[in-house]
Amino acid sequence: MPLVRTERLTKLFGALTAVNAVTLEVEEGSLHSVIGPNGAGKTTFFNLLTGQHTPTSGRIVFDGRDIAGTPPHGIAHLGIARSFQRTSIFPTLSILDNVWLATFARQASWRGLAWRRADRYPELTRRALEVLGEVGLGEKASLPAREISHGEQRQLELAIALAAAPRLLLLDEPAAGLSPDETQKMVALVRKLKGRYTIILIEHKIDVVMTMSDRISVMHFGSVIAEGSPTEIQRNPEVRRAYLGGVVAT
Amino acid sequence: MKVSLLFSQVLNGLATGMLYALMGIGLSIITGVLNIPNFAHGALFALGAYLLYSVIQLVGNFWLALVIAPLGVGLLGALIEYGGIRPLYKAGHDYQLLLTFGLSLIVTEGIIIIWSPVGMSQLPPPLLRGGVDLGITFYPKYRLFVMVAAALLVFGAWLFLEKTRYGAIMRAGIEDKEMVALLGIDIHRLFTAAFALGCVLAGIAGALTAPIRGLNPWMGVDMLGIAFVVVALAGLGNLLGSIVAGLLVGLAQSLVALVWPEASVAVIFAVMAAVLLVRPQGLFGIR
Amino acid sequence: MSKAWLAILAAVVLLPLVVRHAIATEIWIFAIFGLGLNLLMGYTGLLSFGQATFFGSAAYVAGYLLKYYGVNVFLALGIGVVVGAVSAAAVGYLCVQRSGLYFIMLTFALNQMFYFTAYQWTTVTGGEDGMPGIPRPSALGLDIHRPLAYYAAVALLFLLSLWIMKRIVESPLGKILQAIRENELRAEALGYNVPRMKLAAFVVGGAYSGLAGVLYAMLFGIVPLESIGFVFSGNVVFATLIGGSGSLYGPVIGSFVFIWLSESVSTMWARWPLLLGVAFVIVVLFFRGGVVEAWARFWAWRAARRAPAAVRIDAPR
Repeated sequence: MPLVRTERLTKLFGALTAVNAVTLEVEEGSLHSVIGPNGAGKTTFFNLLTGQHTPTSGRIVFDGRDIAGTPPHGIAHLGIARSFQRTSIFPTLSILDNVWLATFARQASWRGLAWRRADRYPELTRRALEVLGEVGLGEKASLPAREISHGEQRQLELAIALAAAPRLLLLDEPAAGLSPDETQKMVALVRKLKGRYTIILIEHKIDVVMTMSDRISVMHFGSVIAEGSPTEIQRNPEVRRAYLGGVVAT
Repeated sequence: MKVSLLFSQVLNGLATGMLYALMGIGLSIITGVLNIPNFAHGALFALGAYLLYSVIQLVGNFWLALVIAPLGVGLLGALIEYGGIRPLYKAGHDYQLLLTFGLSLIVTEGIIIIWSPVGMSQLPPPLLRGGVDLGITFYPKYRLFVMVAAALLVFGAWLFLEKTRYGAIMRAGIEDKEMVALLGIDIHRLFTAAFALGCVLAGIAGALTAPIRGLNPWMGVDMLGIAFVVVALAGLGNLLGSIVAGLLVGLAQSLVALVWPEASVAVIFAVMAAVLLVRPQGLFGIR
Repeated sequence: MSKAWLAILAAVVLLPLVVRHAIATEIWIFAIFGLGLNLLMGYTGLLSFGQATFFGSAAYVAGYLLKYYGVNVFLALGIGVVVGAVSAAAVGYLCVQRSGLYFIMLTFALNQMFYFTAYQWTTVTGGEDGMPGIPRPSALGLDIHRPLAYYAAVALLFLLSLWIMKRIVESPLGKILQAIRENELRAEALGYNVPRMKLAAFVVGGAYSGLAGVLYAMLFGIVPLESIGFVFSGNVVFATLIGGSGSLYGPVIGSFVFIWLSESVSTMWARWPLLLGVAFVIVVLFFRGGVVEAWARFWAWRAARRAPAAVRIDAPR
């Protein structure tokens, strides 16, 4: 049973078709990658899933329900979390707080919202520290988020998404701007998440995608031009053409 | 109700409406390009009026004053942008905005010190004194002039923004500053130019207003609020929107003044509140 | 108890010995006003230029009821808080739906609307002359007419307000508001209804403004038109900025500085707003963090000078 499925999902911005009839199915627990050249519409596709844009047409079905049109703040409560391509954290807040806010939001009840001291939620703090430990930032929990390196901020970006305990994880180029070493660490991290979460991954680095994905969709100019297992995609001539001599792992 | 009274009130509404539109356009340009609501816009409007007064005192010529006063305000605006707003670029928009707020106090108090805390009056130029018979009613020549002059200025602003290269750069600056910078345009000069242009428009609106309402140091505060209303209704950089919003506000004010004079100012803001309740994005804004 | 609280308690006790009781009272009232604004300005990143709307509305309504209906003082205070909160809810509802720029302009414009309404509605508000004759009824049998007695009551309310604000900013809501200030889109993505949170902050700010307004009316026995005007809105912004919007206690310090400055300078020179404007510009250009930050920087500078050896981190490889 696919956890999430889009049916001919389309988004037009005036005359520009950013996302064109994208149909995609992601099985629970699998890792589905979306690749394609810059401007292919991958991030816009994510924005549709997370409610930043309303679809012009098409459906988004999550856990059997049509969620198209859910406002962005409602998406998290459905169990969908997202990391951003351009690091989107809370710079002056501590690393712990960055993650803590994600866990708090998902609480069933917000008791003590304006009254209880934020550090008196032991369960949430524990969970936040746990998540930080998973991504390797446990030691730096009290530092302000802007004081860590870019690579560590990408880890934090991921941690914030994980902290919401989502069922569906949307990762938008988690390795963006990372050095080869850092990329390796990020890849290892994402690998560990496979199975525990359903993941849709947008990534530019093909080698990363090939080794981890269960299925891959290739987007170009807003449409899905190919879909299949990594091996199938590797052999697909259209895909090679779309990347125009760019790196397609062999 | 006498038709003549209604008619002249409508004309009044149009005249003030065009002035409101001018203020709105100037503010819209500044706010759109620099991303800060210019809290000094009202004080600079007042300064335009006072400079007109002084130039007339010095030179005796209204028309010359009408040219010099706005340019003076524009020059001050350029200095403000260069010396105050630009250094705060890194500190963020909030601080630039707060700077303009502080400056509004300085300009207003400066006016009181340099000229007078007491209101003053300014006669229109001899050519435009008295009224003209429009058939339905007699109407002050000067107000007709203001209507026409403001309309011409608005048209001029439109020409500039839509038809010239500089105007296109400014419109682009409102849309997407990064892109403009990437195109190799000096974004700092753009900011200074936009701010100065907005100030010139405020100054000329003030100069035009002086013979109608007289001068007082706080004439700018009321105008500031109205300018904000026009921009909130019209959306940033929307020339047509500013005209419509300005006229709407001007007419609402003058027509309400016929039946309920006490509420004539508050009604402007009430109209704004009502519109925003129904359409939070303003009359023309996109959500 | 933290150092800050000790300092504040000391100030509460010592202030009436140093300045006139009325001024001392005004300082705490203004501090309450500033605390409300700072929840919006410092914590949520919302520059509200119309807080006088709620301050003045509460003052007028409570003042009216005190004067013509002789309500008891606790009811008056409660009404002030409620009027402040409700007017803030109405204004806030219109304002929070739009982005920062429009938000700022709208708070100002709506403030003007209230101002002009108060100006014209002379039968109720007294227009330009204000609403004089506001009584100060006894509280629980205690006579608060004497300046010192009123001072004590106001100081107590201030301490209570400060404590409540401390609880709020240390709560999850406080963190959520700061997150909104830092990154609205991400806060939304996390699942927070940002406009609703902003509105909540606005309402709390309004409640504080309302309380301050009623206390002000009872202090001077009059509700002046200025209390609902743009100048008042600007004053509280200035005070908060100069104290330091980045801290809970900033508005308290700012209130001290502002009231002291305005009371001492305004009697000497009618053009005191010019100095205020100049001070504003200087603070914005050079001392953005306000007194709180300047103080922190000073101590950090002293600490660095005292321990130069510890600062060097050279470890030759």
